[in-house]
Amino acid sequence: MTVDASAERDRRSMSKPDGDRTFWGRLAGWGPYHTLMRLATASPRRQFLILAVIPVLWVLTQHLGPMLQMVIVSLTDAYPVAPGVEQHFTLDNYSRFFGDSIFWMPFFRTLIFAGVFTFCTLIITYPVAYFLARHVSRKNQMLFLLLLLIPFWVGEIVRTYAIMILLGNTGAVNLLLKTLGLIDRPIPFMYTSFSMGLGIVYLTALYMLLPLYSALEKLPKSMNEAAADLGAGAWTRFRRISLPLTIEGISSGCTLVFLISTGFYATPVLLGGPSTTVFAETIAGFFHAAGDEWPTGAAFATIMFAAALVLTATFQKLMSALRKGEKK
Amino acid sequence: MSRLIFNRRRFLGTAAATGAALASPAYLRRASAQSGGEVNIWTYNNFVPEAFKEQFEAETGIKVNVRLVDDQGKQFNLLAAEQPNPTVDIMTVAGHRFLQFIESDLLAPLDTDRLSNWSNINPTFSEGDWATINGEKWGAPILSGMEVLAYNSDYVSEEEAMTWDTLFSEKYANQTAYIIQDMMSIIMLKMGYDGNMVEYKDDPEKAAQIVEEAKNFLIEHKPLVRKYYDGGAEFQQMMVNQDILLGHSWNGPAAALINDGFPLGMTIPREGSYGFVYTYNIANNAPNAENAYTFLDAILASPEIGAAMTKASGFISTYKDADQHLNDLEKKSTSFPEEQLANMQFFRAEANELKYSLVDPAVEAIKAA
Repeated sequence: MTVDASAERDRRSMSKPDGDRTFWGRLAGWGPYHTLMRLATASPRRQFLILAVIPVLWVLTQHLGPMLQMVIVSLTDAYPVAPGVEQHFTLDNYSRFFGDSIFWMPFFRTLIFAGVFTFCTLIITYPVAYFLARHVSRKNQMLFLLLLLIPFWVGEIVRTYAIMILLGNTGAVNLLLKTLGLIDRPIPFMYTSFSMGLGIVYLTALYMLLPLYSALEKLPKSMNEAAADLGAGAWTRFRRISLPLTIEGISSGCTLVFLISTGFYATPVLLGGPSTTVFAETIAGFFHAAGDEWPTGAAFATIMFAAALVLTATFQKLMSALRKGEKK
Repeated sequence: MSRLIFNRRRFLGTAAATGAALASPAYLRRASAQSGGEVNIWTYNNFVPEAFKEQFEAETGIKVNVRLVDDQGKQFNLLAAEQPNPTVDIMTVAGHRFLQFIESDLLAPLDTDRLSNWSNINPTFSEGDWATINGEKWGAPILSGMEVLAYNSDYVSEEEAMTWDTLFSEKYANQTAYIIQDMMSIIMLKMGYDGNMVEYKDDPEKAAQIVEEAKNFLIEHKPLVRKYYDGGAEFQQMMVNQDILLGHSWNGPAAALINDGFPLGMTIPREGSYGFVYTYNIANNAPNAENAYTFLDAILASPEIGAAMTKASGFISTYKDADQHLNDLEKKSTSFPEEQLANMQFFRAEANELKYSLVDPAVEAIKAA
């Protein structure tokens, strides 16, 4: 069927309901609406443009726009601009980062933390995803997923405070250990790399779990069964079949968790201690400090963004190479 | 303990509400007929008593929109970003930060002739030398506070709390917390320097050397601190959870804990400390300036409202006779012995530009170290 024929059929179907006196029926028969719809759907190209315009506008104005604005601010010498002050473009804000080593420690600490927390999240959630995809009946999978989703119905701050309630000196964990007679004095879990790591792993777990679940769910059971028939043990089956075939899920999950981890602010502030200051805190400090520090904060944010993108792209490249190697 | 605090807070809230409700009608009956519109306020938590707000809205028809702030620098930057058409009418600026806001044209001079209740403020605050800049008043003082050493009195003795050294002692390693920015000024004072940096205004090299010394001190003692914190609520949380046993604090959050029945003490240590005054200021080009003046005059109307603000925030009211409306525990939590008060001085603004240009990077360096 040609495009014209299809459009003509659609046109007829739209004008068809002679006896249809419902709102939609009347609207379909209304001249201007009818003409508009005919023009809009006259070709697949037009249909695509109509469908694309809202998402494209959304991405441009809500996602790329603010980031572009941040990059522009990072290249200025003053923002917000005080009355009577002229704004100039400069690279000084970037050179401040490269010229002062005090900023390198939180920067590299953030990247290392993000890498370690991503790995921990993967190790913890993979068995959960495996269990869910391979051992839970289809009927119950949605129920389990819903149970995993429930904590995500509340915000980051509330979940962070939940961790504080668990790990505080008078929190549930210390109370339990004390009741069991395992400790005399509370263990100072809070304000350490451990408390911060636990919080971040908890907050990002679902971003890892869902891609893993999706990849594992597609894995044909017959492959594992065949491997077992041929004498492969559980570890060999996991290493030779499950892992390579879920590498795309691992790649997506790790990318998501790593990028989110580099940008966390509230959780490290609330759960971290003096030795766990992350780069997001340094950046926020510039926005809180009074007087022309926004450009520096914006430059530092741009540097972190660029570094995270480069690292993620490198990781994706590695995973891609790994996938190709497996296929060969 | 959290249950006790919850109940106690609720009780205090009710008490504050009753106080304010009792105080407001006298002013509001005098107020003109309902004018309507709105007034937008940036302020700290509990600085606008809820009962006062509700009654003010009911009597004047002016809707009060409160946006909570937790940081003077953030407030400055937000306002600078919005000028010349700000969305805010009234902000809460600390007295020692006036100059910075004024020099950036962010505040409008306060026309005290339009405030029939201006005389209700204690002259110590309304007529202090810091309150008049360029021949104008710039804000209505509402609450005053100070940097104190707060401690869990079940574990730390008052004698120990009489010196800042205890905050950096091995005995309380990893059981302390402070706000680095504020601590920098206190450490400079402890080292025998002027933490306001006014003395070194014409000697930037000396100022830089002092800040470097204070920075190195805090970096050296970093392994002993449990947490650098930012807001009063965080301090309260750490104390209640017994994550810390002592720390630097603003007196407001510490007083609120004392009023809740928590075993907390606070001192102005012998090396000295700094005090500050919070003021309500009208923004330059405020969109609802008329309503802002109506609000300010209403909130200054009676000592009961001042007392309600003290009960809710823990900071000390600047209103005449506000203490007459506090109970004994509240009075105790908002007063200090004379010999300790003698160690206190107010933050000053004259050298702020020099001071913060040195202190802000030092704070980042301490965090990063």
